[in-house]
Amino acid sequence: MEFLLEITTEEMPSSHVKIGLSQLEEKLKEALHVSSLSFSRMRSYGTCRRLVVVGDLSPEQKDRVEDIIGPPKTVAFDEDGIPTQAAVGFAKKHSLDVKKLVVLKTERGEYVGAKKITKGARAQDILTDNLPTIIASLSFPKMMRWGKSSLRFSRPIQNILCVFGESPLSFSVDEIRASDFTTGHKIFSPEKIRPKSFSEYNKALAENHVIVDQERRKQIILKQSEKILSSLGAQMYPDDELLEKLSFDVESPCVILGQFPEEYLKLPLDVLSTAMKEGQSLFSVVKGRKQLSYFLGVADVPRDAKELIRAGNERVLKARLEDAKFFWDQDLKVKLRKRAEGLDRVIYHEKLGSYEDKTQRLKKIAAYLLNKLEAKGDKKPAVEAAELCKADLLTEMVREFPTLQGKVGGLYAQEEGYPADVWKAIYEHYLPQSMDDNVPSSLNGAIISISDKLDSIIGAIGIGMEVSGSKDPFGLRRNAQGICKTILEKKINCDFCRLVDKVLAIYGDIFEIDKKDVKNRCLEFFKGRLQHILESQGFRYDLVNAALSPGIDNIYCTYLRLKALDSLKESAHFEPMILIAKRVNNILRNQPRYKINPDLLFEKQERELYTTFTIIQENVLSMIADGDFAKAQRMVFRMRSSINSFFDHVLVMEEDQRLKRNRLALLQAISKVLNQIADYSKVVVSE
Amino acid sequence: MSIQKLIMNLQKFWSDQGCYLAQSYDLEVGAGTMTPDTFFRVLDRRPWKVAYVQPARRPTDGRFGLNPHRVQKHFQYQVIMKPSPADIQDLYLKSLSSLGINLQDHDLRFDEDNWESPTIGAWGVGWQVLLDGLEITQFTYFQQAGGIDTFPVPVEITYGLERLEMFLEGKDNLYDLDWSDDVTYRDLRFVEEKEFSEYNFNQADVKLLKKSFDMRIKEGHKMSKEGLLLPAYDICLKCSHLFNLLDSRGAISVTERVKMISQIRILVNQIAEKYTSREDVS
Repeated sequence: MEFLLEITTEEMPSSHVKIGLSQLEEKLKEALHVSSLSFSRMRSYGTCRRLVVVGDLSPEQKDRVEDIIGPPKTVAFDEDGIPTQAAVGFAKKHSLDVKKLVVLKTERGEYVGAKKITKGARAQDILTDNLPTIIASLSFPKMMRWGKSSLRFSRPIQNILCVFGESPLSFSVDEIRASDFTTGHKIFSPEKIRPKSFSEYNKALAENHVIVDQERRKQIILKQSEKILSSLGAQMYPDDELLEKLSFDVESPCVILGQFPEEYLKLPLDVLSTAMKEGQSLFSVVKGRKQLSYFLGVADVPRDAKELIRAGNERVLKARLEDAKFFWDQDLKVKLRKRAEGLDRVIYHEKLGSYEDKTQRLKKIAAYLLNKLEAKGDKKPAVEAAELCKADLLTEMVREFPTLQGKVGGLYAQEEGYPADVWKAIYEHYLPQSMDDNVPSSLNGAIISISDKLDSIIGAIGIGMEVSGSKDPFGLRRNAQGICKTILEKKINCDFCRLVDKVLAIYGDIFEIDKKDVKNRCLEFFKGRLQHILESQGFRYDLVNAALSPGIDNIYCTYLRLKALDSLKESAHFEPMILIAKRVNNILRNQPRYKINPDLLFEKQERELYTTFTIIQENVLSMIADGDFAKAQRMVFRMRSSINSFFDHVLVMEEDQRLKRNRLALLQAISKVLNQIADYSKVVVSE
Repeated sequence: MSIQKLIMNLQKFWSDQGCYLAQSYDLEVGAGTMTPDTFFRVLDRRPWKVAYVQPARRPTDGRFGLNPHRVQKHFQYQVIMKPSPADIQDLYLKSLSSLGINLQDHDLRFDEDNWESPTIGAWGVGWQVLLDGLEITQFTYFQQAGGIDTFPVPVEITYGLERLEMFLEGKDNLYDLDWSDDVTYRDLRFVEEKEFSEYNFNQADVKLLKKSFDMRIKEGHKMSKEGLLLPAYDICLKCSHLFNLLDSRGAISVTERVKMISQIRILVNQIAEKYTSREDVS
């Protein structure tokens, strides 16, 4: 039987709709599982004003059959097979007919009993029992209360429609009683609609200017845009984030093409598109790579018959662009370097000082990183970029459009005539903003980006900020992941531990927490983030552990270690090598360190192993230094037969302590080399 | 429709909904939310319905009369309904229709915008209302004021009168708006904007403002101690304006900013707490 639930609310943010729908569907499925009520085709739809779930449910639970066991057969019947008082009593207790008692074979022998059938509960009872709790337990990133209700929700709930098998279900959530109706578009069709099924619901809402399916709305927006722009030979500048937001924000999508005066095309694309996107949620229009003086808006109306919506949006956008142009011209009157002098008045964090302090740290971190990367050529541009990168926080443009920070500074630097390796680095230094975002394209951009983010992370940890669960007030996770992503993609090969030490040294003595502690927390934190990134890239979790376990002294090398493990995991040598490495590690467990004395190697196999090892070690270490972990690993595979015959013929735990220690020392040396490649004990092998 | 007709329409509409029509408060405030008719009345548990025009001063928004839609003083039409009625969005839509706006010709959107004022320890959840892309109203369910959870929950509707009038008159420059049939916004406000921008940005006496701020904070605590909560709150409003002036003079350092805001907030929270513990309001 078909189940349909619709919660209508005042306008929810698009992110809340997505979260609400997935929770609603999951919680309902969970409740049905627990109640053993089977279901199929469960799905959810939504707009900013409705959360909808539909599915097919079986009308009731399966009947439950259970054995009720009474007295033993020998007690229940007398010699003539006539029921005794015990049998009669048992039957009476369970309101059964004594004649219908059967003999059940149990582990303890034969007993008298009966099969009892409990009728399964009706689906509608299960639903009305569960729905109030499910609805009241939905949780959103920001919750609110309203009126005198004790409910907390994303936005006030206006109505709950619930239909099961064509009839309404009756229950209440707080003061709101479930009903048999919904309403169409808030402005164009607020009349009540009483659907009996999802197909009726869908159809009636479409007639009343509401498209319920978010995917369909998205397609409509794209199709209409394409159609409108085809005559111009132009395209909508893609912005998935905006498209996603708009596809939830409107119930009746109508794409509108508007224009703005061409003189504003003098503004940089970033400024133009930000001015359009923020506030009015407009898309930019491009022809190839050229921006046109048009915009696309998505209105929540059947059509813009009188073109008032277009005209209104044009007027508002013109005013915003006029502002932006004013800011652009004003800002350019003061040079960035002059502006940067005011950074000592902008707070970065109460306990971490001003942006001037941060800028000073950035300069030092960036210079250090450049040194370590042995980047050929001039260090001046990167240091200059570090000096200027925060200056735009004091511009009118960033005050008006905070998301332009960095970008606009870069653009101003370009206007002032700074070379590309300076302005680009400023422009890119907030990248990547998410795991889907691009990393800086220039090396200097990457260096400033890493320096800035690492400075933030270490500062935050240093003043005792904790990241846990959903709490991440400083965006530390995003920053750490941004650093990892940049290092991996830009192949930045540097000692991460030392970098952390350097940043800590630059911070000086302003932390209350012990520096060693800060460092450990920082490395642990990065390890966790790196693990998350690598696993989400699809690497096997045990290989990730094996690669991470030796530490993240060098994030890029950790990644190379993992790639090597991954590329060799199918090799015939892989598992046998892992097994033997585990054997080596096992025997060495809890042993103190010893030193090899080659003169004490008497047995043929141990001498052989020693020789092989010495040659291989030399090769492996140089391969690791070159970052070629796959080659190093394949080289290590060659030691396997020597180690095998060593274990087969030589007794490690010899009674002669000198021999025993020497053999352990040999294995320790081998293990040390292996561990630079991976912690093999973390790899899971099917035995 | 002139601004004064717009105001009269809104007065009529909200008075018909049972709102008491308050007069504008006689102190400089940054928003209609800060006047006692909102601040104190959202704190207690009694029902409350009020509507009023409130001039709002934001010194840093001054543009010497040169910007067509930015001013250091603008006018808000403020409505508070407590508890928030279930049909409040409908009422709001009707208020727009009562101004002669045919909503079926336009794109009206409730766009997520949560409001927060750290100085008075208040925050709420709601939207900016966009009419064909123009922000005409701030719509907020008050969740906390003076650091105290509100119950019943009030809803606040703040119309930006100049914005709304620009929409109604279809004009791009707010100085061209008609206040009445004979008087324009320019006639009334242009010189004021020019002179106050000069005062706010360049002339206001920083030393005097700072000293005045410190003295008033002291006085505020004293009045709060005496149980004179309304005067104490007025003093907070004064301090908030002094702070804004200092800010537009560019005279507040990093540490001072944090300190001054928290000084006001602490006093406001204290007043709110004392107010809600009074027997006659709880």
